[in-house]
Amino acid sequence: MPANTASGYMKGAGAAEVNRLATTRISPALQALTAAALLLPGLTEPARAADDEASIQYGHYEESPRDVYSRVPSSEFGFDLKKIPNNFAPITVDSIHVQGKTLLRDRWRFTANYSEDTWSGATPVATAPAGFGGNKAYGGGGSVKHTDPSLGDTITGATPYIQSLTPVFDQNFNPVLDKGLDADFNQAYGFGPQPLTHTMTMASPETRKQGDFKLGYEWDEAAVDVGGGLSLENDYESRFVNWGGRLDFNSKLTTLNFSQSYTNSTVSALLDHDSLPYLGAIGYELNGKDDNGYIERFSDRLSGGNAILHGKREDIATNLSVTQVLSKSALAEAGVGYTHSSGFMENPYKATYAFFVAPDSFDATTGVYSNLTGSGIATTAFTEQRPNKRNQVNLNLRYVQHIAPLDAAMNLKYNYFFDDWGINAHTFEGKWVQPLPWGLTVTPTIRYYSQSAADFYHPYLVLKTAGSGDANNVAAYRALIQQYPNFSSDHRLSAYGALSGGVIVNKQFARGLNLEMGFEYYSHQGGLRLGGGEGGYADFSAYSANAALKVDLDTLGRSLAENGGGHHHHHHQHGPAQPAGLMFGHMLNMADDWMIGYQYMYGKQAGNLLQGAQPVADSAIISNNAVHNPNCANEQCFAAPSDMTMHMHMFMVMYAPTDWLNLMLMPTFMDMGMNMRQLDGTTTPSNTTLVGAATTHAGHEHQTGGIGDTNISALVKLYDDKLHHLHLGLGVSAPTGDVDIHLRPSHTYEIGLIHYGMQLGSGTWDFTPTLTYTGHRDDWGWGAQIQGVKRLQDHNESGYRLGDMLQATAWGSYRFLDWLGGTVRGIYTTQDSLHGAYDRPHVPIGTMDTPANHGGKYWDIGMGLNVTIPGGSLAGNSFGVEWIQPLRDDVNGIQLEREGALSAQWNYMF
Amino acid sequence: MIMFKRAVSAVSMALALQCLGGCAVAPWERGTLAKPQMALEPNPLQTELRGHAYGAREAATGSSSGSGGGCGCY
Repeated sequence: MPANTASGYMKGAGAAEVNRLATTRISPALQALTAAALLLPGLTEPARAADDEASIQYGHYEESPRDVYSRVPSSEFGFDLKKIPNNFAPITVDSIHVQGKTLLRDRWRFTANYSEDTWSGATPVATAPAGFGGNKAYGGGGSVKHTDPSLGDTITGATPYIQSLTPVFDQNFNPVLDKGLDADFNQAYGFGPQPLTHTMTMASPETRKQGDFKLGYEWDEAAVDVGGGLSLENDYESRFVNWGGRLDFNSKLTTLNFSQSYTNSTVSALLDHDSLPYLGAIGYELNGKDDNGYIERFSDRLSGGNAILHGKREDIATNLSVTQVLSKSALAEAGVGYTHSSGFMENPYKATYAFFVAPDSFDATTGVYSNLTGSGIATTAFTEQRPNKRNQVNLNLRYVQHIAPLDAAMNLKYNYFFDDWGINAHTFEGKWVQPLPWGLTVTPTIRYYSQSAADFYHPYLVLKTAGSGDANNVAAYRALIQQYPNFSSDHRLSAYGALSGGVIVNKQFARGLNLEMGFEYYSHQGGLRLGGGEGGYADFSAYSANAALKVDLDTLGRSLAENGGGHHHHHHQHGPAQPAGLMFGHMLNMADDWMIGYQYMYGKQAGNLLQGAQPVADSAIISNNAVHNPNCANEQCFAAPSDMTMHMHMFMVMYAPTDWLNLMLMPTFMDMGMNMRQLDGTTTPSNTTLVGAATTHAGHEHQTGGIGDTNISALVKLYDDKLHHLHLGLGVSAPTGDVDIHLRPSHTYEIGLIHYGMQLGSGTWDFTPTLTYTGHRDDWGWGAQIQGVKRLQDHNESGYRLGDMLQATAWGSYRFLDWLGGTVRGIYTTQDSLHGAYDRPHVPIGTMDTPANHGGKYWDIGMGLNVTIPGGSLAGNSFGVEWIQPLRDDVNGIQLEREGALSAQWNYMF
Repeated sequence: MIMFKRAVSAVSMALALQCLGGCAVAPWERGTLAKPQMALEPNPLQTELRGHAYGAREAATGSSSGSGGGCGCY
């Protein structure tokens, strides 16, 4: 809990504390001195932990592509080892974090966090000697086949191709390259050191969401807190609780911190459908229904045979640390932590190759074990198997020194870690926090990490016994675990070092706004470990960039108070309530006013498939299914959506340069999910065809997430007589959301772009005008708005554009209480269908992949509540929530019925 | 391990000695310590985000926090 420790300490050393100590314990002379000291600049102002604070942070993490090698035909005879091009998109993660902190009552503090991340990209699934050919060509036919002339059909990257390797070992069981036949038609071998290579697999986007809270109570010299939360992914769910405390001693020169947490996690990993026939998960099948991991096999209509690897895991962590003021300009912290973990700790998506080398496969003439002699070498890949217990100890030291000539702080940290898996690790971190003029603080950071390998880490396994080649052969598995009770080739458990460096720039604006931006470059290399580590094949680098906006609501409140009571009062009258789902509906009335806001929108489609306004039967959808079915992009129909959900987070900053003009910036972050079902009356095509491969992978939820489009608008006041108000909004939507999100390749086919409706943006610059009228009398309010979206480009980078949109709405509102209002409105929306079509690889499998099946005419009713906080420390905040209930859908083509939408918003004017 | 123990004792000795000399820092002498740059954790949001990335990539990181974090199975 570093943040907690820090704020606890800062409170201890803060100016408020100085004041309290001076007035309660110290002699009058010292009181006078203290009072004088308090007048010194820099003593009263900083380090005041904000009581009420809201912050949002966006982060992007992206890895470099991995180098992948394989055994490929050489230009003349036989085969060579070659690096093959790897076009698989590397791992990227987009994340968003929203935090709210508030002082509930005098000594009670509450913090709530919501975070969400979506990741996708290529990741290693197993490791083998490069010459064994674990990365193979994959096709797909026609337009979706990637070829490289210099490599024949070898495609970039590889499917998780675990079968049919070409394993050869020398008499000492070192890998040997099978070079095939030479110019004289003799079998040739390449002896000597051979690099390893990862077999890569590609993951479609997946989203994780986490919500957690902390409630704390503070005494003068102590504090306690309790917290808890939930982290949700399709394949992993964690629930956690924690509690901690702080005790100050020795006139607050010493602080003792204690914390403990308990985490309970459940894994339910859908194993790669492609690899099931040859991925050995037999160990988990022999377990019975054990919490340490078991396999559930089932079949669904779209994907056929499936397997889920289930497991449970518990973690209990305890941390104890002491913070000590060393001098007027230095402090240090020493801590110890112990974590006990038990249960399923495997990464369910990692496999380890095992080579069963039959003793009779040795040929003395050539000096190799190979498949050409005797019983040969059997290759099987097994799902990794880690111990079910782990004890971990962390020791850390931190030292912070003020550097007077530069008014900077040097922050050094060292951590030593060891566990009973045989891993020990050192981490050194250094930060130089340099305040500069204009409210800037620049912090260069450096970090070095080095770890030894786990005892059971092996890039691949060699057994000197004959195998069966059958992944689910019990005898072969027993022979394996006799020699290797646990095994993993996850490079995270290998010996390596990592060096990273970055910079954090922090700008403090007036009125308590703080913007922080950070960048870091990270390099993971076997060779960076103290004493050497894993080979270069596992090296990668990554960068991360982030931006955070923090709003100190206390400071805002103070600056308002300083501006005079009239102004202050004015701000907390938001006027009549407006529907929470309404955009661009509110204007700031006074020059130099600011408003920040957050709006959340949730929408769900589920229920009937509609054709126009009427439900349509599956049999009608597939009635022309022979070849060109217009309901499914002129291909055959196999699937339709069964439900779709969308969550959107919008952040708004609005500024009034004059009283008739407002400028507004609104970035968005979103995630979507779609479940599909097989249309009645269809038969899923074989997964040895392209459309079959795409269809079999529609059996589980498709997800996407990340940054959406960004709106930039100007609101212009046209008329205002205190009773009636009219303003015009002129905006553009910048195409910051992705429109090229892919599904992962499967069954050796490239499936290409995901469904149109799952892309995160429009991909085009869009014009977004609005015209809004509002009026009010006494406790009643009313208004109407017309909003349009006009696409300014013919097509986006993926070859299509979304339809133009027009929406009209009218509402009435009533203020029940000084702080509570309600709204009711009607909404009519019309949107054109999608124009153009994907011009890159994409495999339509159902109604949702048809451009004509987008847009429609919609009638809705919305009901909402609005709360405005009139006074106290949270004055100026307003909250709203609105449920939008569909009344009628008249869709273009065939689409899923809408179930409803929820909007929730928070605004703060200052 | 022995090297490590020596390092720890050396650091603790140094800290203790420094403390004996100047540890009695009166409240009104803590102005410097109260500056924002002197916080033990000057960028908590940033630290959490980077910590999450390290935790998904390194065997020894992320084990000590009781704050969820998910599978990191990639």
